[in-house]
Amino acid sequence: MSSAVSTLAPLQVGEPLLPERLGELTGLDQLGVGGELIAAFIGAFIVGNLMLAMTGVAGPWAKRKITAAFTDRYAVNRIGPFGLLIIVADAVRLLAKENIIPEDADRPAYDLAPIIVASSAMLGFAVIPMGSGIQLADPEVGLAYVFATAGIASIGLVMAGYASSNKYSMIGGLRAVAQNIAYEIPLVVTGLSVVIFAGTLQMSEIVAAQAETLITIGGLDIPMWYAFVNPFAFVLFVAANVAEIGRNPFDIPEAPTEIVAGYQTEYSSVYFVLIYLGEFLHIFLGGAIIATVFLGGPAGPGPAELGIVWFIVKIWAVFLFTQWLRSALPRVRIDQLIEIGWKGMLVLAFANLVLTALIVGLLEADADLTLTMLTVIFA
Amino acid sequence: MAATTRPVGRNRPKRKESTLIWVRFQRPHVTEMNDWIAIGALALVGLLIPLAMMAVSYLIRPSVPEMSKRATYESGEVPTGGTRIRFNIQYYMVALLFVVFDIETVLLFPWAVTYTDALAAEEYGLLHALGPMLLFVAILVVGLAWAWRNGAVQWAKTPGQVETEVDRP
Repeated sequence: MSSAVSTLAPLQVGEPLLPERLGELTGLDQLGVGGELIAAFIGAFIVGNLMLAMTGVAGPWAKRKITAAFTDRYAVNRIGPFGLLIIVADAVRLLAKENIIPEDADRPAYDLAPIIVASSAMLGFAVIPMGSGIQLADPEVGLAYVFATAGIASIGLVMAGYASSNKYSMIGGLRAVAQNIAYEIPLVVTGLSVVIFAGTLQMSEIVAAQAETLITIGGLDIPMWYAFVNPFAFVLFVAANVAEIGRNPFDIPEAPTEIVAGYQTEYSSVYFVLIYLGEFLHIFLGGAIIATVFLGGPAGPGPAELGIVWFIVKIWAVFLFTQWLRSALPRVRIDQLIEIGWKGMLVLAFANLVLTALIVGLLEADADLTLTMLTVIFA
Repeated sequence: MAATTRPVGRNRPKRKESTLIWVRFQRPHVTEMNDWIAIGALALVGLLIPLAMMAVSYLIRPSVPEMSKRATYESGEVPTGGTRIRFNIQYYMVALLFVVFDIETVLLFPWAVTYTDALAAEEYGLLHALGPMLLFVAILVVGLAWAWRNGAVQWAKTPGQVETEVDRP
């Protein structure tokens, strides 16, 4: 088996990661591990603030503008061009609010929950290849790592719900966990069906595998994005992702008409900002996973330097999609949510995995057999 | 047969050989740790950003303590009773189910990674590569079917189900 040799080859062969490029650019790589640490920190600072900036644009401004467009209204348009300075105004306004902590709050947990929600969402971006050489790390377990970090937020949400000592918060926290765990398995299993094609969990390799040409139509090369290769998995993944990030129609953890604001009812001032920030980071992390795994990552027409632009376009497209759902779809009930998750999505996810494995296996194993199979199917 | 298949996964030719390999061989002691240093750095940044925001907020926000401002919010009414009371058992049931399936997904990861390589190798056939996974999933599907029949994933009971439960000794 010739591939055994390449499996044992050096861990990474490819473009240098962001910390290394920074190290080479600034000469920090001459300083050994200390320089490596500083370069990694600068890289992480850039990526973290990029995500923070996108959240800042999305939360106070884009979300309002998009919802207003859907409901035929004007939105923030008073401060600055297109109302963009509302971002600054809102940041100051929210941080300057009095922090009211409920009497019965379970103190350390109540204070820790917003920090966990905000920082765990940031962690996932470490392994996302954002194009133009912006990728902090590229471990072999990339995809598993992303799913793992995306799951940490559930702990923060249940802590927030429990520690607030508020009945709405409690129900919101419980619902958040029930929802996250119900849709996590379809999400991961659908992700696995893509791993079958790529044969690796390493994010850069998954993106590279999608660069090949799937089919050429009228001189136009259609890339092998896994959304085209397995559209069924793509739809499943997007649906499970919407539930994971708790957006409509799966927004029952917050459900403003039922339980005020769910787990964040008792949070004010900077704590509220942190939970809100965490939620938006999660939307973008979901978008980043979809873009990387199904939409070819930073791939797009034009030179490779435009990668980051295409990547941002793709994750904003996913954000726009969630906002569209928010304006268009009613909320499901908790019993419907659980049944859709455990009886619908889970079964479909496993069906997708088994079918994908079977089809890939038959294609690889024997072309004649495939032909026979297709004849049987179409007969 | 298998030799003519499309190169997938690790069999696929690697991308352009950059000078990176040479650079990395020069400092092998950081090669292994590099990824996790960067991830740790992002964890640090992810922690510092919330803490910095909390510090800024602490400096600029007012503190005007008032009577009953800190009371638990219950839509403007005086709060009644505690929060730590019994809740729906279904939350517990789905959590148990989750533990089973989450471990399953972890065990499926290695299989998914090696699947195409195993197919490409001459010594394993399709049955060898796919069969054990199908058996494994089938066992868990039996578990799901059992939980389904017993109503573990059903939130509300229909009136008929409630009646039969009462009749049961």
